[in-house]
Amino acid sequence: MKDFRELETEIKKASDKFTNIESINEFRIKFLGKKGIISLEMKELASLSGDERKQHAEKLNKIKDTVLEIIASKTEELNSEELEKKLNSETLDITLSTSKSYGTIHPISQVIEEVITIFGDLDFFVAEGPEVETDYNNFTALNTSEHHPARQMHDTFYVETETDGMPNVLRTHTSPVQIRSMLKQKPPIRLIAPGKTFRCDNDQTHSPMFHQVEGLVIDQESNMSHLKGCLEIFLKTFFETDKLNMRFRPSHFPFTEPSAEVDIGYTKKGNQLIIGEGEDWLEILGCGMVHPNVLENVNINSNEYQGYAFGMGIERLAMLKYGISDLRTFFDSDLRWNKHYGFSPLNIPSIIGDLS
Amino acid sequence: MRFSYSWLTEHLKTNAHFEEIEKKLTSIGLEVEDIQDTGKAYQDFIVGQVLEEKKHPNADKLKLCKVDIGKEKVDVVCGAPNVEKGMKVVYAPVGSTIPVNQMKIKAAKIRGVESYGMMCSEYELGISNEHDGIIRLEEKETIGRSFSEIYGLNDIVIEIGITPNRQDCLGVKGIARDLASAGMGELLERKISREKGSFKSPIKIEIQDNKICSAFAGRYFRNVKNTESPEWLKNKLKSIGLRPISALVDITNFVMYDENRPLHVYDADKIDGKIIVRSANDGESFLALDEKDYHLKNGMCVIADEKKVLGLGGIMGGESTGCSFETKNVLLESALFDEINTAKTGRNLSILSDARYRFERGIDPNSTLKGIDLATQLILEICGGECSEVELAGYIKENKNEVSTSSSYISRRLGFEVSDKELISIVSSLGIETSQTGDVIKCLIPSWRQDIHGEADISEEVIRIKGYENIPTSNIRLKSKINKNILNYAQKKLMKARHFIASIEYDELVTFSFTDSKNCEVFGDINKLKIVNPISEDLDILRPNLLPNLLQAIKKNKNRNFDSFSIFEIGSQYRSTSPEDQLNVACGIKSGIKTKKSWKNIQTEFDIYDVKQDLTSLIDYLMPGNKKISVSNDCPSWYHPGRSGSIKINNSGIAGYFGELHPRVASQFKIKNKINIFELYLDELPNTEKKTTNKPVLNLSDFQIVTRDFAFVIDKKVKSEEVVTSAFKVDKELIRNVEIFDLFEDDSLGKDKKSIAIKVTLQSNEKTLAENDISEISSKIIESVEKSTSGTVRS
Repeated sequence: MKDFRELETEIKKASDKFTNIESINEFRIKFLGKKGIISLEMKELASLSGDERKQHAEKLNKIKDTVLEIIASKTEELNSEELEKKLNSETLDITLSTSKSYGTIHPISQVIEEVITIFGDLDFFVAEGPEVETDYNNFTALNTSEHHPARQMHDTFYVETETDGMPNVLRTHTSPVQIRSMLKQKPPIRLIAPGKTFRCDNDQTHSPMFHQVEGLVIDQESNMSHLKGCLEIFLKTFFETDKLNMRFRPSHFPFTEPSAEVDIGYTKKGNQLIIGEGEDWLEILGCGMVHPNVLENVNINSNEYQGYAFGMGIERLAMLKYGISDLRTFFDSDLRWNKHYGFSPLNIPSIIGDLS
Repeated sequence: MRFSYSWLTEHLKTNAHFEEIEKKLTSIGLEVEDIQDTGKAYQDFIVGQVLEEKKHPNADKLKLCKVDIGKEKVDVVCGAPNVEKGMKVVYAPVGSTIPVNQMKIKAAKIRGVESYGMMCSEYELGISNEHDGIIRLEEKETIGRSFSEIYGLNDIVIEIGITPNRQDCLGVKGIARDLASAGMGELLERKISREKGSFKSPIKIEIQDNKICSAFAGRYFRNVKNTESPEWLKNKLKSIGLRPISALVDITNFVMYDENRPLHVYDADKIDGKIIVRSANDGESFLALDEKDYHLKNGMCVIADEKKVLGLGGIMGGESTGCSFETKNVLLESALFDEINTAKTGRNLSILSDARYRFERGIDPNSTLKGIDLATQLILEICGGECSEVELAGYIKENKNEVSTSSSYISRRLGFEVSDKELISIVSSLGIETSQTGDVIKCLIPSWRQDIHGEADISEEVIRIKGYENIPTSNIRLKSKINKNILNYAQKKLMKARHFIASIEYDELVTFSFTDSKNCEVFGDINKLKIVNPISEDLDILRPNLLPNLLQAIKKNKNRNFDSFSIFEIGSQYRSTSPEDQLNVACGIKSGIKTKKSWKNIQTEFDIYDVKQDLTSLIDYLMPGNKKISVSNDCPSWYHPGRSGSIKINNSGIAGYFGELHPRVASQFKIKNKINIFELYLDELPNTEKKTTNKPVLNLSDFQIVTRDFAFVIDKKVKSEEVVTSAFKVDKELIRNVEIFDLFEDDSLGKDKKSIAIKVTLQSNEKTLAENDISEISSKIIESVEKSTSGTVRS
């Protein structure tokens, strides 16, 4: 009986000489190819009989498995070596780089979106009105008659068109949106109205165009304590602080009675303003209970309904929150400023995520 | 409104600390804007006397002085031209701070000579603009005395902001009254003797129009001597920033600031006949005390005599009857002018005066005669002479408002319980008389409070005096929502557009809604956009388009060495200055370098295909789902006619444009770069608000995808898009995509020809396409494209 020892020795000898994939291939053909040694031996099995055939077959199959194993492991080994070699030659200089630029959202837009997010969560919808307004909506309906001294405090821009014999104006505040909204909708009303406003004033601290956000709540019970509650939530959320010293003090607006101005406490640490803490006061907004005359002007019964309104400057909010020192830079279109103070477009203000 | 603490205490008996009063003022609505402790600022300055004065050895204009300051004698180098031996001066010792420039005085050598301290001018002390020489004090002043005592500066000056409703606090007495109401002390009544007058006024008064002036009280004084005011009066006026003029004028100013009662004095010898209060005649003019000539119009209230206009009632007196130190006989006026008429006249003539400011806010009618009495007492005391009886024309109306309210109304408005008792106690402290019937409390408003008309006003008085800090805080979250949507479709669209555009590299700008009418003819009808009173010449219209300001921005930033621009604005532009002619537009510009030359890239510049891509992807983002976007050549005139396109969506109106800025417009704006623009008219986008949250059904095919390439030679004039659409329409089911992958232009193709190569992607939902299926559809594609483009396939 053949013991195939010679064959085994030959396989061992051949398998020590592998240098590349080709030599493995030759090895495979030599033993397992159609005319390979093992294949030929297999063919010969047919001529054997009985036990001898069985024993030879067993032996040959074992040897075949060994060959396959050798091929697999040697291929793997050589591939690894080759990859290693390739990797060693494939280095890139990772200190080189290309750059990608991103666009920015203007701080005014960012702050308006933050304000909408906070008030939206409190169920205030966003109302709008045109930037050119009628004298009636901007003043008269807001209890500011033609010769009211408060009109002089608004340096009004006039345009050449008229409504009901009065020249139209560039709205001096967002309050006319109150009038438009109340004429359209019956109470209960909860709205904010952010937008552009205009006053004929241009110096270090005044810009002829600026932004305000108006708030209005009309129902059967909203009172001064709700106004206080509302502004407290807003200011705490907006300035992202749990501490908030807030001071209401009497003021006057023709369209609210009682009227108040709201100050918030701050301290200065170096160049930084810390909002909320401290004993120094910053004026932040004006507010009050809607004057009964205003409600009557929009056909809402002032005996049944009441509510509050407030208005604040978006630029002021932005300056305080983001440490922007000069009002006029907002509209200067200095791209260095925009890139510095602007916000990522992916940064969408959220109540559950980040506000800013 | 400025007043000094010592003036306040003439009306208010108080034990309160100044700091308490300061806090209370703000808390009752009289906001403290500024406080100057002048006593502190001037505490170091004392009276000195120049003992010797000789020339400085090294400087012609300087003098060496020896100054006696009481405890010692010091050497001072002085440059003032008026310094002389024996003169009493204001001496600032070493270590003191000069108010005008906050300079600290040090011992120093001036041109080689030691100098200790300084002698001061009024300018240096911040008292006036007088800087020609140092202050010459009166001979009698004691050496070493505090300067602030002499000038009445040993005081605290308080400046408060008065809101337009609080006309009652435009006099020191009114402020004291409000503080007394708020528990800060007791209101003191000034003792005023009431002179009856010893003769009848020779000057009669006639009111011709009682609508513009309801009452006019006059008193004649004879043989007065108008002098400089006494120190106390001068100092009082100086302390609040007024310039003393002469006793008669100073007295009227004092009464105005003390009692909130504007008065006027006329030199009676310059009045011809009687006083007539009437409406001005058109074309009349008069020279006012501010030395300006005013042209009057019918309706304005004038005080006239039988020949001429003497003054504008309630606004300003005239030069012709002004009082001087020579004035012997005087007519004193205390009148009630109509608020609205005063406001109108003042505004029309652009005159701001203390009198106008008070009359247009409303004057307490009861002050008319009180003012005469106080002024009379002071005139007789300071200027001597005799006074006539008071001549009163017209009628002093009572003017007491009546308001009914209840504690339940006040409580409901303020958000906490206010009892009848508390309500009555607070309003009574303000001088409001009350009477109660059941729940109704009737309030009789005193004549000095012209701002209280209704119940809401009473609620403000209550919380003002009680203190705003006592308002509780209530929760405002509701059990059920009242608004279905926080933002509407249009608002969401705007916000989405902003974030999308910024995400594709544009920086958002916010520019003025105004712009310069020059260079803007191309963008709209500038005659319809004019602002009547622009802030400046170059911001004289509402912007017809967002571009002009963005172009200015590019120009500015180019000067700051930027060479790549991606900027946008979302905002309104205007068709006219009618409220409804405002449009929401998104406008973006890409210009200059797109990719910088680097180790990896060659330099490329932005072109119109960048902004076209941005615009269409923006539209895709705003209107997801199927839509037909078509492009045509009809762009407005600010675009390069051959390099721009307008965009229509689903064949509705034009929704936007993209293209290169017309070179003519670019040169008007002095811009040399190619400016690539997109504009999207956000209001014009068809509403595609989601009606269902479901996405469209998805049909996926697992059969093999086949691609075939075709190239066609067509006329340059034919739009490439035509090749794509004519290939697409051959089989809408099998053809999944058609893409242009090559554009080739060369004379070898023939003149005015170009070659367009497309890659067509085919896939069936039912089977793997066989070669004959593919060749069939290929020949149909060739046929369709050749037909609609009049081109030929390249083989």
